[in-house]
Amino acid sequence: MNRFDLLNKVQNILKDNLVICNIGLPSQELYKISDQPNFFYMLGSMGLSSSIGLGLALSQNKHVISIDGDGSVLMNMNTLATIGNRAPSNYTLLIIDNGSYGSTGDQRTFTDEKTSLKDVALGAGCKNVIECSGEETVNELNKAIDDKDNSYVIISKINSGNVKIDPIPLNPITIRDRFRKFIGKVKYL
Amino acid sequence: MKISKKIIDNLKKGGVDFYLSVPCKLLANMIDILENDKDVYYSAVPREEEGMGICAGAYLGNKFPCIMMQNTGIGNSVNAIVSLLQLYQMPVVFLISYRGTPGEPVGAQGGMAKITEDILQTLRIPMLHCSSEKELDKISTFSKHAKVVESPVAILCDFNLMKDDK
Repeated sequence: MNRFDLLNKVQNILKDNLVICNIGLPSQELYKISDQPNFFYMLGSMGLSSSIGLGLALSQNKHVISIDGDGSVLMNMNTLATIGNRAPSNYTLLIIDNGSYGSTGDQRTFTDEKTSLKDVALGAGCKNVIECSGEETVNELNKAIDDKDNSYVIISKINSGNVKIDPIPLNPITIRDRFRKFIGKVKYL
Repeated sequence: MKISKKIIDNLKKGGVDFYLSVPCKLLANMIDILENDKDVYYSAVPREEEGMGICAGAYLGNKFPCIMMQNTGIGNSVNAIVSLLQLYQMPVVFLISYRGTPGEPVGAQGGMAKITEDILQTLRIPMLHCSSEKELDKISTFSKHAKVVESPVAILCDFNLMKDDK
């Protein structure tokens, strides 16, 4: 299973939640599978999907899923300490760990060598850290959303590999405003 | 405490209700005030760039965020400012302790101090430079300005203004 297959499998869960989606191919693939106003596509700032989602979860009550990658979490690893200490129960971090920098040509990341993001997350203070296969991810994601008392970090171990895809044709303000309209914060659209 | 209280009062008057900080000794009193303020959210964060991401999310959730940091934090955050806050036009207040300005005892702070305003100017970020107590009165209007122009704005507080705020 690669990232495109996984996003296809979880799309029905994502539709009912606020989603912050990582820059590059993850956003492009998700857009191709199913574009929704409650999907915030990152067009820049690699590494910050988990942080944007955390700020959003702290600011309103709807459930937030940050879709992140192993390379991006490695770039902003302090985020796991902040999540471990501050994440509210309406927050789930889904790390799609394919051991490679998919958007830049599938160069190997350190999770393909010695680094375990599960161990890092646990050491950083995250309590509910699940490492699972791509196949198990739907079930784990549902459990995380159903648990109203705890936040979760889910590390979905899948194969690398991408599908041929175009850049997202939406401009950033459109992404911003329709997302905020979905939450109920923008009236004028 | 008087200066720090005035800054927080003015930020709150400007609508700011979500605060993060990467600590600085010049921000210590403000952090104390915020930690005991039940009306607003406050947390420390390990790194400024990460804080920019959290502020972006808070804005999407209809909060008006502020990140408090040393001017060195701007250096850590340039891409997040340009490719996230400015790209999506998100209002965030940067409350900056301006280390390396006159009164600063640590020589090594001088390097970032020399280029801080140049960086902010290059980024086209509106600046409010506070070197005396009187200028703190402009903070609430200046914060509201961030929302009007949908842009991050920077408030720079000089070392000498903050150092004796016991």
